[in-house]
Amino acid sequence: MSMSPASLPSPVRGSGSLAFLAELSQALALSLDLDVTLQQTVDRVLDFMQAEAASLFLVDEGSGAPAIECRICAGPIDVRGLRLAPGQGVVGRAVAENRIQIVADAASDPRVWRDVDRSGGFVTRSLACAPLATAAGPIGALEIINRLDGQPFCSDDGELLGVIAAPAALAINNARMAGRLLEQQRLKREFELARRLQRSLLPRRRRGGYPVVAVNRPAHEMSGDFYDHFELAGGRIGFVAGDVSGKGMDAALLMVRAASLLRWIGKEGASPATWLERANDELCAGPRDGRFVCALVGWCDPATMQVVFAAAGFPPVLVEREGRFDEYRAGGPPLGIAAGAAFDETRLDLGTGTLFAFSDGATDVRDHGGAPLGVAGVRELLARGGGRAPAARLRTLLAALRRRGLVDDTTLLAVAPPGAQAGGMVLERWITADAANLRALRGALRTALDAIGVDAALCERLVLAVDEACANIIRHGYGGDPRGGIGLKVRRDGALLVIELADQAPCADPADLRPRPLGECRQGGFGLALIDAVVDDWRLENGPGGRGNRLILEKRIAGHRQAEENE
Amino acid sequence: MMAAIPNGVIAETVGSRGVVRVRGEVDLSWSQEVRRAILDALASGHPVAVDLSAVDYIDSSGIAALVEGLQRARERRQPFVLVAVSAPVRAVLELARLDGVFTLAASADEAFAAP
Repeated sequence: MSMSPASLPSPVRGSGSLAFLAELSQALALSLDLDVTLQQTVDRVLDFMQAEAASLFLVDEGSGAPAIECRICAGPIDVRGLRLAPGQGVVGRAVAENRIQIVADAASDPRVWRDVDRSGGFVTRSLACAPLATAAGPIGALEIINRLDGQPFCSDDGELLGVIAAPAALAINNARMAGRLLEQQRLKREFELARRLQRSLLPRRRRGGYPVVAVNRPAHEMSGDFYDHFELAGGRIGFVAGDVSGKGMDAALLMVRAASLLRWIGKEGASPATWLERANDELCAGPRDGRFVCALVGWCDPATMQVVFAAAGFPPVLVEREGRFDEYRAGGPPLGIAAGAAFDETRLDLGTGTLFAFSDGATDVRDHGGAPLGVAGVRELLARGGGRAPAARLRTLLAALRRRGLVDDTTLLAVAPPGAQAGGMVLERWITADAANLRALRGALRTALDAIGVDAALCERLVLAVDEACANIIRHGYGGDPRGGIGLKVRRDGALLVIELADQAPCADPADLRPRPLGECRQGGFGLALIDAVVDDWRLENGPGGRGNRLILEKRIAGHRQAEENE
Repeated sequence: MMAAIPNGVIAETVGSRGVVRVRGEVDLSWSQEVRRAILDALASGHPVAVDLSAVDYIDSSGIAALVEGLQRARERRQPFVLVAVSAPVRAVLELARLDGVFTLAASADEAFAAP
């Protein structure tokens, strides 16, 4: 059995149309290069329909006057690039009416536009044209000219052409959609790249004895907000928080410029006021498009916790000391508006306090009643996280702001003594409920607490509290059964030490756990009273199914000796 | 770091006084031994001094043993003195507000010297 090298459609008009269509549809559906496939399609249509010329027109979607352009043709003359106005000629009419057009006698038919013939010496005798129909209307037309046998095109020819046009229209439409998708993906990739580039300008979070921490949340893909921190001479740490007016790409580009300027002027060691003056003059010298930059710049000396800062159109700074907040309004206009502006400097001893700065993205967030939070609202949210590490507080604040709905880029920055920034697991141990294990546990706890700088007296009291809690679990929880287990976790969250003791003993009723008054000369039962005297807060949580207890002890360790952080 | 003192309690009679010397870390694992030694010493009828100079740590069960001793001594009108109380023990007594309840003395001699 012999096989033809290429199963081309039958050259006999009208016969084998099903096989031809099937093959054409498949070729178009699987096409990797639509232009090549469409050219092959038009060539085959010419052959299959036994016509002198065939051409494919597409509606030009580009800007300018609407037109229908010949994109592909087969036959004696090349009319590619020929543009027709909507409704012009047979092709224009097929598209405008979304109907197959058949011209039996071109010479006498007013629909025919004959300029093509005149220019090329080609005589159009008869033609048929089918629109490339899609759900959204015709996107072009497929036209054939002059039957090879000299006969005029009939309605059967038109119908066949219409059937051939359908898969072509589908393929072109699909390719266009794929192209748009690709373009969207390309734009998205470029945007993502720009976003990453912008984010890469933000410094990485520094751990271990670093006094500055910041978070930034863009309202859109790109941010107009930024922050920065870097080392300065004498061990000081410089910090910057900025907010470019407006949103989107323009603001993002200005942000890049402002962030670089503020970083390099800051690194030269200028005082905060001079720092802003120079940045302002520089921004005023650049292109002026009505945009401006609000900024807070300053430095902190970790050795003395002295902080100096200056602000340009930035919301007031909050300083928290022992749960009390002070507000510092630092004057000065936003940068980039008027050259020669002067800025005030604020100098303060932060001590063990924490300085919080935030862009107006935070203060502009609406409360549940629809009014802007303002500085007071932000302060209220901050107060809820008292005692925790600044980074955790910023994250909590950001989460609270996001729950209320961020509409603008938001930057939060905190400056605090290096020790206050520390967090994480201090100790994790598991022992069987045997009193013989307590001595080693106490030793491990002493070592761990000493390592994070808890002073010796407090360390001993905390060791006592944990020991008493374990003794209670051993005696009352497990009733002396040494097969039970006790898990100890000691976590540090900023200035707060959180100690958790977990057991699998039957649930204790928290109501039964009432510390007895101290000072009573009694033989026992004051373990819990000792715990109560040592820690700031404690609570018992029961496990599910009547088994398991979690005793949580909390103690503020701020103000105690701060060890060198070795995170 | 200093080596940990091994736990232990020794009761001796010096003249007409009982002296209970405790050392190490008094906790739930052996505070009953301390309690027993104190009660035994009191049973002899002598004045009793509990030497706590070598105690690095004491928990509430250890404190309870001292409290029980004090109560037993009071019932019998026997002198009962804590001697050379180490800083860790003193801290826990203070925390439990029991530092004013016990008679504290620098040494057994001082404790039982004629007033």
